[in-house]
Amino acid sequence: MSDKTEVNLTGVKQSKGVWLVKVPKYLSLQWDKATEKGEVGKIIIGKKQGKTEVRFSLNEELTALGAVGEQDASLQVPRDHPFTMHTVGGQTMAVFSQSNADEISLEGMVVHRAECRPVVNDNYMKLKKLQIKASTKPQRLSQQLERAVTTVFKPVANHDFNVEHEKKKKSEGKMVRAEWQVVLDMLFSAFEKHQYYNIKDLVDITKQPVTYLKEIMREIGTYNSKGAHKSTWELKPEYRHYQSAEEEEMQTA
Amino acid sequence: MTSLGGSSSSTTEYTVRVPKNTSKKYNIMAFNSGDRVNCSTWTQARMERDMSARRIYGEEESAEGAAGSEFGKKQREEARRKKYGIVTREFKVEDQPWILKVNGKAGKRFKGLKKGGVTENASYYIFTQCPDGAFEAFPVHGWYNFTPQAKHRTLTAEEAEEEWGRRNKVVNHFSIMLQRRFREQERGGDDDDDENEKSGKKKKKGGGRGGDLRIHDLEEDLEMSSDDSDSSMGDDGEGKTKAKKATGKGKAKKKKRKSSDKEALEDSDDGDYEGLEVDYMSDESSSSDEELEKGKPGKAEHHPKGIDEASESEEESEEEKQNEEEAKEEEEEEEGKKTPVQTEKKKKKDSSGESESSDDSDIEGETASALFMKKRTPPKRGGRGSAGSSRTGSRPGTPSIDSASTSNTLRAAASKLEQGKRPTPGPSTDSPAAKRLKMEPSSQSPVPSGKSTPQPPSGKSTPSSSDVQLTEEAVRRYLIRKPMTTKDLLKKFQTKRTGLSSEQTVNVLAQILKRLNPERKNVNDKMHFYLTE
Repeated sequence: MSDKTEVNLTGVKQSKGVWLVKVPKYLSLQWDKATEKGEVGKIIIGKKQGKTEVRFSLNEELTALGAVGEQDASLQVPRDHPFTMHTVGGQTMAVFSQSNADEISLEGMVVHRAECRPVVNDNYMKLKKLQIKASTKPQRLSQQLERAVTTVFKPVANHDFNVEHEKKKKSEGKMVRAEWQVVLDMLFSAFEKHQYYNIKDLVDITKQPVTYLKEIMREIGTYNSKGAHKSTWELKPEYRHYQSAEEEEMQTA
Repeated sequence: MTSLGGSSSSTTEYTVRVPKNTSKKYNIMAFNSGDRVNCSTWTQARMERDMSARRIYGEEESAEGAAGSEFGKKQREEARRKKYGIVTREFKVEDQPWILKVNGKAGKRFKGLKKGGVTENASYYIFTQCPDGAFEAFPVHGWYNFTPQAKHRTLTAEEAEEEWGRRNKVVNHFSIMLQRRFREQERGGDDDDDENEKSGKKKKKGGGRGGDLRIHDLEEDLEMSSDDSDSSMGDDGEGKTKAKKATGKGKAKKKKRKSSDKEALEDSDDGDYEGLEVDYMSDESSSSDEELEKGKPGKAEHHPKGIDEASESEEESEEEKQNEEEAKEEEEEEEGKKTPVQTEKKKKKDSSGESESSDDSDIEGETASALFMKKRTPPKRGGRGSAGSSRTGSRPGTPSIDSASTSNTLRAAASKLEQGKRPTPGPSTDSPAAKRLKMEPSSQSPVPSGKSTPQPPSGKSTPSSSDVQLTEEAVRRYLIRKPMTTKDLLKKFQTKRTGLSSEQTVNVLAQILKRLNPERKNVNDKMHFYLTE
């Protein structure tokens, strides 16, 4: 990848400060259920006796677990989440964004780190219990069947696949020998695409009987029994004029 | 936004919005505080993904289409991987590190590695305050830790370990990198003595050289061998001697290198002929031949094994020694073609070892053509002849004369019969005097014995143990039964059974045939004799 994206440094120039907030998973799930407008809640910053307190309060409609609009009285996501704020001591963190068009821009510097914590109460505990139960469920489950499966192994006079195969063969008929020259032309055009071919593939391509095809191949080509291209046929040197791939590229470029 | 005034507490409320339709993905760019990064000082920045890991993860596609590619290779590879259960991790562009370059080429470089597990259990949000006082919360997509990348040269792991071993001794730390730079110059450029000296000077300060514990190609290993040994010493902790050695090492190394080069240049002739393959040889003399050959590797000439092979080996000597093998193989081949009588002759030739006289070479040419069915290069014959003559003297030629004479006698026998009852008992006209002498007594002796009695010629041959006696009766019996060539007759009276030597057999047979005077007819272009009684 030779193209380098110029980084848009406007955010940093303006010294935009952002907060990096760690949010629990369930809360982010609830946020995803938010409406188009995107309002999820409120941040309440208060100063209590000199201390700054930041709290996040979840909107009412988003407290329901489950689909939006459903009011499940028993289980509700807690609403109050105090933020624990830290300063960015050890790390210099910046935020960069990548757009769909692979444009990179530096959005800003992180000035505060915060963790969104729930208030621990019974409701929360119940919620957690649910979560744990869901996570401990195994992904694979072994089920006991009441009756044995009988559909699979019934003895059949002729399997479906075989029947189809035979029909196909009959419809196509035996492979007829075409003219020597015609077959040669087919082969040459095939070998223009690839250098090494398996005899089966050649039969497929040319639709000629194997013996006839082998005769022709013996005349114009050689058989590789060893080496990289194990049991393949290739044209004799006098018949081929391959250029290396690089040359081709250079020519086309 | 409401603000409630209170005595001791004042709270302000801000609504929090989580925008739904953001096209932007927010990430955290985290720096280490120790790096003292101040983003506001950045004038210009560029960022891109580091794709260097793609080579490792992405399988190398070998020439798609045209040369070198196979039809259906991808599918086959995929099927194969599935069969063996090989699960290759995908190369995710999202997870690749970032490379951030600040303030252009001369500025800083940072590498941002993605931190894993950030969004697994808790979500991070970026709260920014909007102009209207409300907060907007954006979820954090990924977290990247950015570290500055060093532009200056660093030691490799091996070098670092080495220096660690010497940390108490080294006073001048600047020299360490200097050594390294010099060393790189040396390796890349020519072998300069100056550099060695320079490095030697630096060593005086007591700073040791950076070790050469590198795994290189063989030449470099050889060159740096002295260094390696020293550096390994250093690693063991015997650094005391190292400081002293260091100064001397530079010069020593130079010398050693040069000496090793010299050694390498010299060719050793001793081992050149060790691997020579020599074909199977039945006789002792052939082993002596081997030794002789080995003793004279440089000589172009080496004695051939027999008349027939003289020509060939002469050819060999002019060419390479490997052809000797071929000649011997030919010998073996020819043995198969020859008759038993002739094999005996051939063995004689082997034992003879040498036939270098010009006469022999002449005979080879003539006798061999009809009877031995050998391939010959006529133009070479003349050259060979002359070469042969030049080599005569040291080697005895008598045994070969024998063999020549035997071949001659066979021919003589055949020609005799053709001539019929011509008085001239002469062998072929081209036989030399010596052979003629031998011939005549041998030809004469059976004659009188033949004349005296129709019994088997006892004058010359006394059959000791014989299942088959070479008698006129026997011959007559054979010829009555069916027509036979001289060759067939000879086969019937094998020398082992009759107790006669091959010469004698031939002579006696010739006499008998002369006496019998059988009728002749040509069957398959061969002269067959037969009797009707």
